[in-house]
Amino acid sequence: MRRLRYSYHMSLSFERPAWEHSFKLRCFPSTDERQKISGERISICPVHFSSSERDSFGNMCIYGTAKQVHTLFSVDAEGIAETDIHGVIPAESHKAAVFKYETPLTRAGVSIREFHRSLEPRGWTGEFERAVYMMGMLCDDFSYVSGSTGIATTAEEAFTMRRGVCQDYAHVLLALCRLERIPCRYVAGMIPGEGATHAWTEVFDGGTWRGVDPTHNRPCDDTYIKISAGRDAGDCAINQGVFYGGGKQTQSVRVVVREV
Amino acid sequence: MKVTEEELCRHSDSVNEQLARYGVKFGIYKGGQFHEQLFPFDVIPRVIGHEEFAYLERGLKQRVAALNAFLGDIYSDRRIVADGVIPEEFVFSGSGYLVQCDGVSPPGGVYSHISGIDLVQGKNGSWYVLEDNLRIPSGASYPMIARELCMRSIPSAFTGGIVDNRNYPELLRHVMDYVNTGGHSVILTPGRFNAAYFEHSYFAERTGARLVTCEDLTVENDRLYFIDYSGRKEQVGAVYRRISDEYLDPVNFNRESLIGVPHIFDIYRKGNVAIINAPGNGAADDKGIYYFVPRMVKYYLGEEAILQNAPTYLPFYEDDMRYVLENFGRLVIKDVAEAGGYGVVFGDKLSAKEKENFMAMLKAEPRRFIAQEVIDFRDIDIYEGGKRVPRKADLRAFVLTGEEPVVWKSGLTRFSRNPDSFIVNSSQGGGFKDTWVMKEGY
Repeated sequence: MRRLRYSYHMSLSFERPAWEHSFKLRCFPSTDERQKISGERISICPVHFSSSERDSFGNMCIYGTAKQVHTLFSVDAEGIAETDIHGVIPAESHKAAVFKYETPLTRAGVSIREFHRSLEPRGWTGEFERAVYMMGMLCDDFSYVSGSTGIATTAEEAFTMRRGVCQDYAHVLLALCRLERIPCRYVAGMIPGEGATHAWTEVFDGGTWRGVDPTHNRPCDDTYIKISAGRDAGDCAINQGVFYGGGKQTQSVRVVVREV
Repeated sequence: MKVTEEELCRHSDSVNEQLARYGVKFGIYKGGQFHEQLFPFDVIPRVIGHEEFAYLERGLKQRVAALNAFLGDIYSDRRIVADGVIPEEFVFSGSGYLVQCDGVSPPGGVYSHISGIDLVQGKNGSWYVLEDNLRIPSGASYPMIARELCMRSIPSAFTGGIVDNRNYPELLRHVMDYVNTGGHSVILTPGRFNAAYFEHSYFAERTGARLVTCEDLTVENDRLYFIDYSGRKEQVGAVYRRISDEYLDPVNFNRESLIGVPHIFDIYRKGNVAIINAPGNGAADDKGIYYFVPRMVKYYLGEEAILQNAPTYLPFYEDDMRYVLENFGRLVIKDVAEAGGYGVVFGDKLSAKEKENFMAMLKAEPRRFIAQEVIDFRDIDIYEGGKRVPRKADLRAFVLTGEEPVVWKSGLTRFSRNPDSFIVNSSQGGGFKDTWVMKEGY
């Protein structure tokens, strides 16, 4: 078990004033079988009304509206996560079914299918071992190049270029697993250090979700703090919003996680 | 009856002129341009006898009850999938399945409040369901206003025997009231450039619900409000939206939507407003799911389906694929993701090259298509150029569900104006007729 202190900061600055800004935020870790969140502090500014809910994947969301004119919208969340890798995160198998099928972001096209054909056929190995094997093969053939892709880049597009960031690694691994109908999901979260949010993949095996981090080519351990999970990055969007005015917007995110 | 029809035909032009004056139009987007065209009305009604309609009514109620049960199931326990009655692939990989609706119970437990079930009658007299429309089925306003105008122009044609179909707004109002979570009921329209704007405004007028666009609505403190001209806010408890799921809420779905209401879906999830029809209904009216509806009836209601589907094959199943490839020339193939008469291919109308390409596509993406026997459906006469000529026609029956499904005793009969076409969709230039359901003893 570990104790990790995390802080998440996001700011959205607008070139011109924005108003009637409706937002939905999904950047708050919550307590589950593998992490216990305590001492949580959240601040959102500006805000006219806000409310919270769990989405259909169980992710914590805060949504609301900032009616007033503003040029800066900021979100801060901090707290302590006590993590334990051994927690069992169940999913009734028929509930895992929705994670077996491709989504537009994780659709395997020609290049992923071709790569998949070059892999050893799946033998007797379980879902997790199979995912670890495919992750290893993927990492040999894919490079981390920051800024090479965007949030709307699909698995197929990234794989065709053979480069991307953590979101792309996760999407390509999802596409590969889904070709074999292995239930798998996208996870957005945080890992120790300073920087942006991180993303990895979970596969459903032996009655529990188990994490693999294709960006680092390793299974997830107890240093990973989960924020949200879904079929792909679209389900885990950290900030969805619409507003009037605003012009060009610049988003910056800073995550700090340290062991305490 | 003969005399009546002659009388009706004499008034064909005048009734159509009045319909035009009332703005009974149908908008079509073609090549990126909006064209508004009149929806041609044919005065000769489709007449359905009391007994025959009673049979349809039983079958329609049963079908809609099963479809509602299916939606309730796949967005909660998914028993039908767990029990292997429907392959999960057909549920979860369809574009109509909205994962965001998982675990949401709509007010009153109703998903498909207004169901438009498209039927055709074969030459042998049997009826077949061709399609279920559980999202935003439109069309009930057309036979209603046509009836109104015909009764005004030709009162003598309506002496007894015919069930009055002008109660549709009462049925609709009842459904809105039944699911309303507290406050006003409104009809949310994308605006006057929508294909069915006439219908939106007509229903608002007849039900007493306010006709609103997104600018009239706002979400605050987990409630939906209507903002009146003076800026005063009044709570809204039911929204009969005529906007597709995708555009309903720009924060939760397509963020490019300018016609939706931010956060309406969030508060719907909390049970604070009813959305009519419920989001996510596309999971049950997908052309691929259609195949399984008789199984749903059996599974949820423990009854045999009263209404039959047109004979349908799923290339997804190997046996069906073989059959489809062997009999390609006499089948109609439909792309499950398309609607409005698009994506429909008649095997015998393709050239050899087209056929080859199509079969390759079919083999590559079997899940994307269904194939059906072409039903030789019964022609109905229309009055054209001073004489009666036969045309293909279907029937869209409307089932409104509050506490239980109620079938509207009429329906939209659509016909193809082209003598060689089986496609009757309004968006493809078809016309419509009134549907007369007869009282007992007539």
